[in-house]
Amino acid sequence: MSETEFNAQFFDQFLDDYYAEADEHLRSVRRNVIDLEDFFTNGQAVPANTLNELFRSFHTLKGISAMAGVPAAESLAHHMESYLRVLRDGQTAISGEGLAALVRSTKKLEEIVASKRNNAELPAIDGEVRRLESLVPDTPRETDAAVHEVPQRRGESSIQSVPRYLFTFISAPGLAARNVNVNTVRERLQQIGTIIKSTPTVRTGGQVAFEFTVETSAEEASFESWVDDGIEYEPVVAATPDPAPADAPAAGDGSRSGLPGHSNFVRVELSRLDGLMLMVGELVVSRAKLEEQIKRLGSEMSAQQLSSLEETNHTIERQLRNLRDGVMRTRMTPIGEVFERLQFAVRDLARESGKKVRLETTGESTEIDKMLVEKVLDPLLHLVRNAVSHGIESASERKSKDKPEIGTIRLHAATVGESIMLEVSDDGSGIDLENVAARARSRGLLSPMDYPAGSALLDILCSPGFSTRDEADKASGRGVGMDVVRRAIDDLGGTLSLETRADLGAAFTIQLPLTLAIADALIVSVDRERFAVPQSGVREVIEIRQSAVRRLENNEIIEYRGTALPLVRLSKLFALEDNYREAFHAFVVGEGSQAVGVAVDRVIGQSEIVIRPVSDPLTQVPGITGATELGDGRIVLILDAAAIARRLEQKL
Amino acid sequence: MNHGASGAETFILFELAGTTYGVPSSEVQQLEMIEHITPVPNAAKTVEGVVFSRGQMIPAISLRARFGFEKIPYDLKTRLLVVNVDKRNIGLIVDSAREFKNIPAELISPPPDGLASLTGEYLAGIAAVGENTILILNLAEVIKTEASEVAGTQT
Repeated sequence: MSETEFNAQFFDQFLDDYYAEADEHLRSVRRNVIDLEDFFTNGQAVPANTLNELFRSFHTLKGISAMAGVPAAESLAHHMESYLRVLRDGQTAISGEGLAALVRSTKKLEEIVASKRNNAELPAIDGEVRRLESLVPDTPRETDAAVHEVPQRRGESSIQSVPRYLFTFISAPGLAARNVNVNTVRERLQQIGTIIKSTPTVRTGGQVAFEFTVETSAEEASFESWVDDGIEYEPVVAATPDPAPADAPAAGDGSRSGLPGHSNFVRVELSRLDGLMLMVGELVVSRAKLEEQIKRLGSEMSAQQLSSLEETNHTIERQLRNLRDGVMRTRMTPIGEVFERLQFAVRDLARESGKKVRLETTGESTEIDKMLVEKVLDPLLHLVRNAVSHGIESASERKSKDKPEIGTIRLHAATVGESIMLEVSDDGSGIDLENVAARARSRGLLSPMDYPAGSALLDILCSPGFSTRDEADKASGRGVGMDVVRRAIDDLGGTLSLETRADLGAAFTIQLPLTLAIADALIVSVDRERFAVPQSGVREVIEIRQSAVRRLENNEIIEYRGTALPLVRLSKLFALEDNYREAFHAFVVGEGSQAVGVAVDRVIGQSEIVIRPVSDPLTQVPGITGATELGDGRIVLILDAAAIARRLEQKL
Repeated sequence: MNHGASGAETFILFELAGTTYGVPSSEVQQLEMIEHITPVPNAAKTVEGVVFSRGQMIPAISLRARFGFEKIPYDLKTRLLVVNVDKRNIGLIVDSAREFKNIPAELISPPPDGLASLTGEYLAGIAAVGENTILILNLAEVIKTEASEVAGTQT
């Protein structure tokens, strides 16, 4: 590896660490700001702990942003820290304005970090900085100091009493191999004293150098030998009275990351866990092959030999399942993190729209695949926004309906078997069916005779570009529509369903598979083909007699649990031969009024499958989400049950 | 004219309906016997299905159907030629394939103008090697047309 390459790679790695750490702190900030708001609105005193944690988070965000060379984030965090200092020290009390400024600034910080990560242009922070500055009573001179300088601690002398050194560290491949990197260097420096200032600089030739100003009473002898590790130092002579000693966070600077007991955590790149999951997947396929071979050899072995082989096979199966669960667990993270971000969004939206809304969350500890976290946030955010802007009525309207003035949006998460259920419900007006029907008819989505109900209603709401808003309203720009929500959920192999009741509210339910890589599936046969159906989407398998099928125009219907269940024949959708046997199987997908039975010849078994994408455009067809290799080595296609159920709707 | 290694390219030769074709070996991933192809419902007629190759599900295309010849049953000589074009891996089903051949650049001439129309677009050139005529394929074109056709015929 060349020196330049090393530096580039090193800096990328360094930035990755920065993003991860910034995310952690932003998460804690969001949680604390929400608490702060609760205390404020309930007229309770704000616990010192909340303020301290916020203060510490901003302090750390400022420090790491300086290291990563993101001055916008550094400056904003600095101003937030200043505001928190006066709050903490009781110089001023939290106000509605102050809360709004903290919420806005936190969002801006998120934006800055996200823009940096995406190499996009960083947003301006002037507005936020002005607001924050106006909140700090007669802003002391220290806020004018260069943002790199940590403002001085109150009541402490500004005369430099402890010697200072400027340490310079230049990373190099040899050093990295010995685990000497910017983080370990920082830790070392923290052990001998207090870091006053840290700046990364890029030297000519693309080398990255880190400069640390450290206050230490340690003897030079104790760090002289560090030169061998690429850590140079020189004493700093204070010429002018210098704004100074570090305003170390209350918990001491040792807790750099602010994470309690952080030494027990390991940060692992998700791609490594993906790799592990793939290997487990390969093992699963190999075991299935083994089982297939045992079956084939069965007749040539003694019963005793066979049973001992089968026993071993089952042990491996069980162990593999444990291994798979274990690997999966390492990828799981509580959904609470997503809920907090939504909590944040709701307050913001309520503030904007002037409606009174509160968000209730349950099931925060439900765990979800880390990869799903980012992907599920946008759809949820959109549903929550819709609930605020379309669902919840204005306070006066609610009063006239005898409803509590404050609207409630509920977020609920739960693990149901092999899938995760996420529900966004509100106690608002429910979906305005008349309005939806009128708009759907004018766009030709609905015939004049029909009325939107069940999955047809959801299909209308999810059709591209559909909106119940007026054009003028749309201009205010909320961006995505329900079609984007459904597509995002489809892409994750999940399903979306809806229940709405006039004046009682609406509930959207998202069901997602626990993991995207491996699933339990039913193996079904149609004509001479076999297909796999992920069990997470299947409610029930039923056996049907041809004589029990009722025909209604072009549709086939069966009676199922006291209601009429539409039947869709896979053979018809996939242009396969249908033998119309007297008895056949169907699997039921979809909830409530959106349920359909998908008819196949037979359900021939159950298998643990490794889901592989079928990504080439030539083989991307509706109703197929991927393919898998079965134990006998054959490839079968994986059905997208939700899409199949919907195609039926379109054909009617 | 340069007769060194740089002046000749290696091609993989295959047969289709009695004609010899060549594709640059740099674009070929591997040659496989055909075991089982899983049909994909509602895909274009030229798509025979998917196969699992080197950890990936890839489409298998009947080159006979692609070129407008009649399909024939697979036999022991049938091969799946897995090519990598435009970052896509695609399997082409050909009647047989067996030979690597270095073809000096000067033996390859551009396709005659008379061959315009459909077939003309698939050809990168024509090589005369001894008694044999080898049609050199422009794989990117073969694949590209295929994709647009799918988009058009999809139900």
